Amino acid sequence: MDNKLIKIYHGPQHPGITGNMSVELDLLGETIKRARTHVGYLHRGFEKLIERRTVIQAFTIVCRLCVPEPDPNEENFARAVEGLVGLEISDRAKYIRVMVQEMSRIAAQMLWMGGQSGSIGMGTVGQWSLYDRDLILDLFEELTGGRVYHMYTYPGGVRRDLPDGFLGRLSELLDYFDKKLPKYDSIFFDNATFKQRAMGVGVICKDEALQNGYVGQALRGCGIKRDVRRDNPYLVYDKLEFEIPTYDGCDVYSRAMVRRAEIKESIKILRQVIEQMPAEGLIMQKIPKHRKFKLPKDDIYVASESARGEFGYYMAGDGSEKIRRMQVKGPSLIHGYTLLENLLVDEELSNVALIMNSLGICPPEIER
Amino acid sequence: MDMIKERYEVGEKSKRLFEIDIAKDSLIDTISFLMSHTDFITLSMIACADWIEDEIFVLNYVFTTSNRDKNLMLKVSISRDGEVVPTVSISSPQAEVMERDLHEMYGIVFDGNDTLYDFALEGWEGMPPLRRDFDTLEYVNENFDFKGGRDDNKDVKAEVKRRKAEAKKLKALKTEANETEANEAKEAEEVKNNG
Amino acid sequence: MNFNTIDIKGIVAPFSAIGKVFEHPKTVCYPDQTKVVSEGYRGFHTNVLADCIGCANCQEICMNDAIDMVSIDEDRNDRNKSGCIPRIDYGRCCWCNLCVDVCPPDSLKLGIECIQADADSNNFLYYPKDK
Repeated sequence: MDNKLIKIYHGPQHPGITGNMSVELDLLGETIKRARTHVGYLHRGFEKLIERRTVIQAFTIVCRLCVPEPDPNEENFARAVEGLVGLEISDRAKYIRVMVQEMSRIAAQMLWMGGQSGSIGMGTVGQWSLYDRDLILDLFEELTGGRVYHMYTYPGGVRRDLPDGFLGRLSELLDYFDKKLPKYDSIFFDNATFKQRAMGVGVICKDEALQNGYVGQALRGCGIKRDVRRDNPYLVYDKLEFEIPTYDGCDVYSRAMVRRAEIKESIKILRQVIEQMPAEGLIMQKIPKHRKFKLPKDDIYVASESARGEFGYYMAGDGSEKIRRMQVKGPSLIHGYTLLENLLVDEELSNVALIMNSLGICPPEIER
Repeated sequence: MDMIKERYEVGEKSKRLFEIDIAKDSLIDTISFLMSHTDFITLSMIACADWIEDEIFVLNYVFTTSNRDKNLMLKVSISRDGEVVPTVSISSPQAEVMERDLHEMYGIVFDGNDTLYDFALEGWEGMPPLRRDFDTLEYVNENFDFKGGRDDNKDVKAEVKRRKAEAKKLKALKTEANETEANEAKEAEEVKNNG
Repeated sequence: MNFNTIDIKGIVAPFSAIGKVFEHPKTVCYPDQTKVVSEGYRGFHTNVLADCIGCANCQEICMNDAIDMVSIDEDRNDRNKSGCIPRIDYGRCCWCNLCVDVCPPDSLKLGIECIQADADSNNFLYYPKDK
């Protein structure tokens, strides 16, 4: 056999790809010798658009940065603006925001579960988990009026108050999830097929994980306990009790188990939120000149934990009502390039989708 | 943190966010000092802001501690007309893709980074799109057509003015008509009386 | 394969999915049954013409330029100084609700109707229903 390499493009329309991106693979037989990520199929120029708009107009665009979980984006944007103008929001608004964050986290993990199981040919799990995600979206619809793009978390608070009996319905849904999770265990997480496919695949080098800026499950799957919610607490996360699950395998299976444990932690946080939420409080601070308020000439960096890792926003104001610059660093930027290109070398072709899904790569936030 | 404060002038933005202004020449030195002597080891982001009125780009290298609890922004000002910046991808490999992004969006050249080819845009020629002097509306007008059928859009302020003027005119006409009517009636009466 | 390493639970447990066969289906049979949309849903606009003052606040706040102010033939109320009402281009609208937030007489609202399908994209210009 001669050592001729075959070049194929994995994506952008491959079902195992987590969005509109492609990986250029140099193959020797079934083994990948070199991988190069290509994005650019979904470049919408959001960062430029935001520069042309006032703050209130720009806020409707940030949630569109990432489809599976728009809420960490809204949260980051709101917190960056609040940090720049020095706005303090009420406790009730903070609790509502935490609730939205955690609901969106569960929804994102459910969507991930569908992708991860689909990448190894288990269609059933995806059907179940997407149905369960829809139950959360139903609650979001009731709360915010939108199912996927909520446009709810706003600088100064949140836009609507909770509907009557909302917390009760949320509580019922959490009980349902508690019952449902063991079923997912038996068909997916404990499944012998999944274990065989996922164990020892996509092993991240633990020593360079921190320095290279890997975030989220990539770190926690290596046994490194890092979570922005705990390390650099925002909203009311310092008042809530939750664990940061870690597994030591560094492989796809560890990252999956971390995610499974995180669903449980999110349910725990939501229960505390339901218990502790203050009944009274302003949901939206009064902002003077609300439609055209001015950002000071200053800049700020904020970070929050999304379902896939740290989301960082850089925002600069210039004394006018428009934002001078807003730059987004999603977890996928580093995961999709530095990490994925390294992980795929010497892996088999059939593992590409598996590894991509386990890293939670979402191309829209790479190219913004 | 104390070690950094000894060497540099640290601006404290909040409890967990700091900033240092440094010159371009000392960028590599500062980063190697941060990475070897302090806890700020992770490069999280390179953010660039275009301050066109001062003729500078400000590059913000955001560093994060290994505990992920503090962030530090290194601010480097460079001129807007093609100043070359040394790459930091040797010490932190994730910088490679961030610099590639900035090269495409601002046209900043990073010396030592050999991946500065197309990123999200394909075959883009002309001014890099995220510079402040790039006019989005002009680009759209040149390259795309707007959908028709919306020409009946009215400027509301002009419309209010027009309607006010119209109403005034109408009122004036009405009073005039009333007056002429009254006059005519008067005249008719006079004629009748005289007759 | 060594018999001790066979993961019997992992092989048998996934078959519990068969139990789903006996459950009631979760899907909705669409044209016959429709899903109940919650009250605060953000669907097509409605506009109370008796209240609309034609101020163009909605046009000003809309970042997508989706709203045109169009003259109507007959005046619906005296406070409408401009004689215009908003018309929305659903090819551009992103249902962000900002136009509703800034409406001074609260006449513009988002309703629950949401089905938008047409062969011609020019037909997405839409006068909000009078409610």
